[in-house]
Amino acid sequence: MESRWAESRGLRDANLPMRTLLIACGNPLRRDDGAASEALRHLAQAPNRVLRSVRQLTPELAEEAARFDRVVFLDADAGAARVTIEHLGPGFGRGASLPRSPLTHFATPAEIVALSRGLFGFAGEALLCRIPARDFSLSANPGGADLSANTLRFARQAAAELENLP
Amino acid sequence: MSKRLMIEPVTRIEGHAKISIQLDDAGGVESARFHITEFRGFEKLVEGRPFAEMPGIMSRVCGICPVSHILASSKAGDMLLGVEIPPAAEKQRRLVNCAQILQSHALSFFHLSAPDLLLGMDAPPEKRNIFGLLERDPDFLRRGIRLRQFGQRIIELVGGKSVHPACSGPGGVHRRFTTEQRDEILSWIPEALSSVELALSRLKPLLDGFAAEIAHMGNFPSLFLATVSREGGLEYYDGTLRIIDDKGNSVADGLDPRDFSTYLGEASEDYSFVKFPFYRPLGYPKGHYRVGPLARLNVARFAGTERADRELREFKQRGASEGTAAVCESFHYHLARLIEMLHMIERIEELMHNRELFEDSIQARASLNRREGIGSCEAPRGTLFHHYWVDANGLMTKADLLIATGQNNQAMNMTVEQTARHFIGSIAPGTQPDDGILNRIEAAIRCFDPCLSCSTHALGQMPLVVEWIAADGIPLGRIARAS
Repeated sequence: MESRWAESRGLRDANLPMRTLLIACGNPLRRDDGAASEALRHLAQAPNRVLRSVRQLTPELAEEAARFDRVVFLDADAGAARVTIEHLGPGFGRGASLPRSPLTHFATPAEIVALSRGLFGFAGEALLCRIPARDFSLSANPGGADLSANTLRFARQAAAELENLP
Repeated sequence: MSKRLMIEPVTRIEGHAKISIQLDDAGGVESARFHITEFRGFEKLVEGRPFAEMPGIMSRVCGICPVSHILASSKAGDMLLGVEIPPAAEKQRRLVNCAQILQSHALSFFHLSAPDLLLGMDAPPEKRNIFGLLERDPDFLRRGIRLRQFGQRIIELVGGKSVHPACSGPGGVHRRFTTEQRDEILSWIPEALSSVELALSRLKPLLDGFAAEIAHMGNFPSLFLATVSREGGLEYYDGTLRIIDDKGNSVADGLDPRDFSTYLGEASEDYSFVKFPFYRPLGYPKGHYRVGPLARLNVARFAGTERADRELREFKQRGASEGTAAVCESFHYHLARLIEMLHMIERIEELMHNRELFEDSIQARASLNRREGIGSCEAPRGTLFHHYWVDANGLMTKADLLIATGQNNQAMNMTVEQTARHFIGSIAPGTQPDDGILNRIEAAIRCFDPCLSCSTHALGQMPLVVEWIAADGIPLGRIARAS
């Protein structure tokens, strides 16, 4: 009761763990593209944590993100050599130029965060976790995960690092 | 010496698209092509799997229109079982189909196309995006997100989740619809209707400012193909196929979608990995056709709901005013999308008051009765076909999908060529096209809202790069369009 009262007034008890939304992006049908979902699978259930696994980031995630203290995006990255976790600050992705492919039906993490801040009042922390991935061929296991050995290891490492977030 | 202007992707691993523009010696456009690398791996993926698994597997092809694949797949399964599904199941499938189209169109219009339409094709790239729209009109953007949420919420209610919902399978659906779900959906209707009508009121006055784009971005005669009801009205789940020409004449009517392979063929071109569907009696390329919102509104004689009928009558006047009877300008896919959104909301509301939706029987039970099953429905981008072959044990031996985006392939190519020819032709020879011209070429493709997730099973990134390459292969310049 007390925490809801505080929440309704924009106050937050610093002793409470941050309410975190973790969004894994990727298609497990394409082997290592399912790395983010695999990382989520290795995260422990916690009352302050909500896990989402999506194929693409889409704008309605912006409203959901606004209800949390922190949002973490997880994605397989063909260009990454190691697991990284970086902050998405207020100006992330805006830059002088934001060219965009006309052929995509998804938003970037930066766009989701910008929408969440600009439209729904998100004032929390935004992070992007990149998981190295190499093999995006069609999975032989349409019903489950089928990561390459290295990416599986990276996914577990990502889960461990996210588990240790304050 | 001719120059080739390449718009090439920087691919992540595979699955990419490319625009190539061949210039002549005078700097005009000789030809232009839109290349899609289509992924055809699903035939192998599904081999040996039980056909009952197909809706679940096929829904994972695409994260944008999974429901369309689920429905087409379920209908193919219905045919394999040899059943007619209960009315409650049919109503649920119609409901999620409406929701799917609504949310997909909302994403396309408000998120992908609105920056061009509301901020202008020549707006600076750093402004002509979601951030610019956020600064200019946050309420408009918020309404678009809410519309998509509405569609997603319906899918989640019916299927248990909005991503890869378990909303349908061979023989019927999986759960009964409740009055609580009805009440929640009905509570969204007023806001949804007002949002789409606001979008229509914003778009229509802007169209006069896009006269050049309307005239030269995919404005050409073609056939149009879509599903219609028995009375010839808009139909998205189950009906017959109708084809008209640009004069509005009926070329074919009452076609059974299950016979699609007998009247739709696929041609190949040496510059593309993607096939080019065509209407067989007219051959290729004369028999090329368009599908999707523009085609559906052209083909149907009426909508069947009050607000959409009013908009449809006005929409059809655009074709009449140009003397073609059909609306041939691809730019009007945007307007057609909004009208369809209006119609979807009205249909959703109607379904909430249909007593059959709440009946207990939701599944027709049978064993395998056929070795070949075909299912089709109208997906957001056009008519979708799933064709399955199974062995005596119901295990898949072959699958063939004819996807909407692929059916618009020839039209997209013609659109790119026409757009490039006009807008590059309007600048001094030898001048590098500016960002506004490049954006118009991309915007031309955006009219069709191609879902390359389906055809390429894209990994989520589809950047494009424009390269100027001389005939001797020396690159002269580069414009990046990274995602």
